[in-house]
Amino acid sequence: MPETIPLQTKQKIRDCTAQGLIYLAVLLVSAVFVWLLTDLVRGGIAHLSWAFLTESPHDAGRTGGIASILVSTLLILLVALITAIPLAWSTAILMAEFVPVESNFGKTVRFSLYVLAGVPSIVFGLFGNAFFSIYLGLGFSILSGGLTLACMLLPILTSTAEAGLRAVPDTYRLSAAALGISRTAALIHLIMPAAAPALTAGLLIGVGRALAETAALLFTSGYVDRMPGSLLDSGRALALHIFDLSMNVPGGDNAAYASALVLVCLLLSINILAMKLAYGLQRRKIMT
Amino acid sequence: MVKIIVFSLTSRFVIATTVITFCGLIWTVPTAANAGSQRLVLTGSSTVAPLINEIARRFEAQSSGVRIDVQTGGSSRGVNDVRKNIADIGMISRALKTDEKDLHAFTVALDGISLIVHADNPVTALGRQQIADIFTGNVSRWRAVGGTDARITVVNKAEGRSTLELFLEYLQVKNSAIKPHIIIGDNAQGIKTVTGNRNAIGYVSIGAAEYEVQRGASLRLLALDGVEASVENVRNGTFPLSRPLNLITASEPNGLVREFIRFAQSPQVHDLIEAQYFVPADAN
Repeated sequence: MPETIPLQTKQKIRDCTAQGLIYLAVLLVSAVFVWLLTDLVRGGIAHLSWAFLTESPHDAGRTGGIASILVSTLLILLVALITAIPLAWSTAILMAEFVPVESNFGKTVRFSLYVLAGVPSIVFGLFGNAFFSIYLGLGFSILSGGLTLACMLLPILTSTAEAGLRAVPDTYRLSAAALGISRTAALIHLIMPAAAPALTAGLLIGVGRALAETAALLFTSGYVDRMPGSLLDSGRALALHIFDLSMNVPGGDNAAYASALVLVCLLLSINILAMKLAYGLQRRKIMT
Repeated sequence: MVKIIVFSLTSRFVIATTVITFCGLIWTVPTAANAGSQRLVLTGSSTVAPLINEIARRFEAQSSGVRIDVQTGGSSRGVNDVRKNIADIGMISRALKTDEKDLHAFTVALDGISLIVHADNPVTALGRQQIADIFTGNVSRWRAVGGTDARITVVNKAEGRSTLELFLEYLQVKNSAIKPHIIIGDNAQGIKTVTGNRNAIGYVSIGAAEYEVQRGASLRLLALDGVEASVENVRNGTFPLSRPLNLITASEPNGLVREFIRFAQSPQVHDLIEAQYFVPADAN
């Protein structure tokens, strides 16, 4: 009997150490984020103002703001998402709902998506430059930049959506069939809403990658920092602007910090908004 | 039940109208905006691009209905794009090479290239042979050239950069002979690399380096062949390592292209050239 007590404390100590280490890991991960954010805020907050958000850049970006660059960035993102989402999600629906997992067709499509996901972004940039800008004659434009980004987003959006749809339990589909609901109706009213959080999560990863993209856009949407008048105008993306300010323009550091701060805030707000929307959509759709 | 049908109908209607509006926007806006405007596309050197961007902005303000798009990517890309007719004008931060004599070059500004070390480094000047020894790896410690006993970190430029080509020509060595520890792209990156490493040596545009020193960066510009590295010495032509910043065209320029090149060479833009820390071409 007296031997069991030290054994218990031993186990307790081991448990505590394990727990402590896990907490330490979590703390380290969040510390990286907090450090990054404080660094950005410290470097950029002094340069940030309302005028910075509403003016166009002057003197190679050292003074002035980033209004035109924000507009270009959002337009590029919009083009990319409008093109990529229907393609990616319909592919995902086909793969998850209509094609058996082990079929050759499914395997081929999945394999090609994996390969596409592993292609470095500069290769997409060169492809976009050769195909959209030169072969299709779109030139350096927001349209060709957006379409290049859409190619880059396809594998991410498709594989996350497919995984999300597969995670919906088969009992949902069986119950729907038992109630005589057609496959399409079940898909629209039951399975898609049930998979909405996964679809949104995939979308967010895609948006994050698109907003952070530099290499693929340098040769497609271009370097022009003027306010874009149309989708066929060249427009500089925010990440490219940050890269140019910090690497090419002497004395552009403050503006680069402030732009990076804006980019991070933009990403955070898009994330929060999309998460809220997804949960709202899921609840409303399944309840009606 | 009726309520649900009405709801789904209205929501579908809303979605359909949004999609149609988006498609409409995509196709109508470009045609409306591009009617009756002239456009020039420039590509090339990342050193020249910010300067030409500013010049283009002023040019646009003076002549209505003109749009000038400045793209970047390096001098080699400028040459390529002009030859392939993708760009109207190319930008190169060097003189034309012998195999590029089919192109026409117009010098807009001058720029010098300076060797830079960390401000804590006691070395203030290096001879041509010493520099060559350092960059080819024959000398690997600062002690050999009058510094502290520390290993030298050699910072080289990436292939295709005209700063690299000019530097190699000055040293009379091949790029394959250089043994770099770090390879960098643009000027500001080089400056950041050297300010972050006490034992590094690199080379960047003088204007950019002088500007950073004025702002208190821990950086020192090394004298070359006994001539101090400064914008002033590039202006009076005594500094041995300087280069022209050129605009290039595939054929004899005319129309809008000629107008823009003339504007970029005129005294009207000298303040812009100086604001980017370059030297106006016709100053000497």
